[in-house]
Amino acid sequence: MITKIKIRGYRIYTDFTLSPNAKLNLIVGGNEAGKSTLMEAIALALTGRIGGRSASEELNPHWFNAGVVAEFVAKIERGERPRFPEIHIELYFADKPELQRLCGAINTEVPTLACPGLSLRIMPNPDYADELTRWMAKPSSLLPVEFYLVDWRSFADERITNRPRQLAAAIIDSRTVRSSSGVDYHLRQILGDHLDPPERAAVSLAYRELKATMSTTALDAINKRIGTIHASLHDQPISLAMDQSARTAWDGVVTPHVNDVPFSMSGQGQQAAIKISLALNRNAGHAAFVMIEEPENHLSHTSLTTLLSRIEALTGDHQQLFITTHSTFVLNRLGLDAILLLAHGKTSKITTLDPETVSYFQRLPGYDTLRMALAKKIVLVEGPSDEIVFERFFKDLFGRRPMELGIDVISMRGLSLARCLEFCAALDKPVAAMRDNDGTDPAELSTSVEAWLSPGKRELFIGKVAHGHTLEPQIVHHNGEATLRSLLGITATADLHKWMSREKTETAFRIAGATCKLTPPEYMREAAAFIHG
Amino acid sequence: MANQLTLAVAGSRKTQGIVEHCARLLPERRALVLTFTQANQEELRRRLGQRAGDHLGIEVMGWFTFLLRHFAKPFLPFKFPGARVLGFSFEGRPDRYAKGLSRFLDRNGAAYACELGRLANELLGASKGALLHRLESLYDEILIDEVQDLSAHDWEIVDALLHSSIQIRMVGDIRQSVLATNPRGTKNKRYAYAEAVKWFREREQIGKLTITESVETWRCHPKIAEFSDTIFDPSWVFPSTISRNDVTTNHDGVFLLMKKHVGDYVERFAPQCLRSMAASGKEFNLEYLNFKVAKGSTFARVLIVPTAGISDFLRKGSNLEPVPAASFYVAVTRAEQSVAIVIDNAGTSTLPCWMP
Repeated sequence: MITKIKIRGYRIYTDFTLSPNAKLNLIVGGNEAGKSTLMEAIALALTGRIGGRSASEELNPHWFNAGVVAEFVAKIERGERPRFPEIHIELYFADKPELQRLCGAINTEVPTLACPGLSLRIMPNPDYADELTRWMAKPSSLLPVEFYLVDWRSFADERITNRPRQLAAAIIDSRTVRSSSGVDYHLRQILGDHLDPPERAAVSLAYRELKATMSTTALDAINKRIGTIHASLHDQPISLAMDQSARTAWDGVVTPHVNDVPFSMSGQGQQAAIKISLALNRNAGHAAFVMIEEPENHLSHTSLTTLLSRIEALTGDHQQLFITTHSTFVLNRLGLDAILLLAHGKTSKITTLDPETVSYFQRLPGYDTLRMALAKKIVLVEGPSDEIVFERFFKDLFGRRPMELGIDVISMRGLSLARCLEFCAALDKPVAAMRDNDGTDPAELSTSVEAWLSPGKRELFIGKVAHGHTLEPQIVHHNGEATLRSLLGITATADLHKWMSREKTETAFRIAGATCKLTPPEYMREAAAFIHG
Repeated sequence: MANQLTLAVAGSRKTQGIVEHCARLLPERRALVLTFTQANQEELRRRLGQRAGDHLGIEVMGWFTFLLRHFAKPFLPFKFPGARVLGFSFEGRPDRYAKGLSRFLDRNGAAYACELGRLANELLGASKGALLHRLESLYDEILIDEVQDLSAHDWEIVDALLHSSIQIRMVGDIRQSVLATNPRGTKNKRYAYAEAVKWFREREQIGKLTITESVETWRCHPKIAEFSDTIFDPSWVFPSTISRNDVTTNHDGVFLLMKKHVGDYVERFAPQCLRSMAASGKEFNLEYLNFKVAKGSTFARVLIVPTAGISDFLRKGSNLEPVPAASFYVAVTRAEQSVAIVIDNAGTSTLPCWMP
């Protein structure tokens, strides 16, 4: 189990530390927040590979953090002698007996800490000191990675050449490009890990024998004929035989079939689902780390539901999952408490969330918690009409729509205010929450959510009972019946209050579109001013 | 199971005991076999390859590699944060007054062999149990061959191992201590050589160790065995060696040999010639092995060019100091059938003199 991840100088990350959850990690963030990069970095330090190819083969200048490189180049140009930029990824593991070979204190923790771990450094190769010095005479933002080396070690300072067995990782990337062999590297890895060594050996042996029979049957007659052709350099006989080298091992040709359709021919969603099911396993000895990128891709809503319940059902206690997602459905379904929020190379983790709140949102998976998680500032309102009306008054007050200022107005649509506030508080989001008083004293209403409020950061705004029990009477109170009658185009004979509460959204819609000047209800004005800051 | 120490005489098949133990190991047991010399490592690997080649959980390692790989490299930051061991210097010596990191590592980050034991021992304490926990997780058993060759701080390390959950098995012959880890070290001098027995007995008394003594040699002829017992000061009370070698040839036992007869003798018996160090025995043009290098080997016949101390011991019966005694003992006990010692004036020695 990974207890800590440190990334330095890799792509978006200058100096990043993350302590993931023991079992499930749901990585969310806006575009370019570094979700995929985080997954890539973990896989890189865990397997020494990226997309199935070794790090040293794949190394390119764009791996380095652009800011760090720019600063480096600027320093050289100022005549300073800075150190070459480096990439350093460290994975700290739980202090388990089976990982002790990787245990040591060769890591960047202060004070000195001994624990199992892996460290991957990409640094200038001292063998090329001359070349590097020459490069420094004419620096550019593209680092000379040809003169860099990849140093992959355990915390015991032992060089690692192959991925340690106990750290098997399954990487499931639903964006997988189809590989020519039909089975891509990751699937081969997952398949290999899924089979027991005896099973694997049996398949391998049978395949070898099968190939050998080809030589004695179909190829035999041909060999008799071409044996007489003298085409080689020294006239040795030529024959055809099945290639028995590792290149043509069984794992290149044995591939899962779905309903007799080869894996690579089935849909992308199906492919991802199969990989996930193969990688997850309740028995020990299978992938310790499972990384799934955007499981929602290529899947219909129903298939996604099936897949998510499979993830839940199959995940073993010893497995640590990292899942990136853009889907609020995935987030709610797998558990909000596992959220890791990424923004600009930094993370926030949820601190504490009542298990009941987690299951509350699990039962309401369609609810847009991801929007709450990603918003900079949040306005919580009860329903769509409040949302529309608030947007209008906000624009009246500040000349711009809330969204333009990074304020997301979210309608709770009957959800519990307390649950939403608890979630926002766990992520430490600034919130202005509004609700109707429904005839109850505002002070009394706020006591139930007090725990999640924090003056100056998260506040609750409720209109005075005397100004009306819900939004509509409040608007009437502040603007007068006549204004609203003309605005809404209601005849003098109709009951204004009845009409407004019956046609809630229509009312809101007309208010939003009205050109005349309107006064916002007091609590709404306060809320707008609070969240605007 | 309790920790075990077998103290045995030369030629008592100590190494064979380790090999046989490994051959009996259950497949899931992970064992580390530690030895002191390169030659011995190769020998052990070869013999284990024959007897337990299919057991992948057995690792053979030199003592220094053990200290580097499991002590110094992983845990150096506990004493010197941010520092790393980048190599190993067998010959190098730190400056006499070197302090801190420069006491243990040279300018290139290579660990001095002579200070490695001290460093390892200090890290053992500084890591607050992490080091020992790591070892306990890696190995079920640690077997140490030639345990008499450990010195100074190495004893503290063995002590820590004896107190760990790892089962320790050691074999050694206190009479053969000729190597020293730290040529300048004084730490634990009192444990060196024969005193080592006392150290082990103390561990036995607190129940950390069971000691068995084996006095049977399968290599040395009875006469050689008998002579080998006389090399040590009687006050050290080593038990007498019993020979199980009942081969008889036309030339068995320990002989004195005059310088002028060396040529004839070599031609006739083709013995393995042994000398104390490269500088000795230059007056004869022979194919020598140094005493230290010969350790662990067996030859049918040996010829020894004695040091001044050995000559005095033969002529006057004056006792040898512990180090020369051990080294002479090694030389003598290499032989199965005969030992010839080159000396002109035999003094009071009662050993037979060989004449052509």
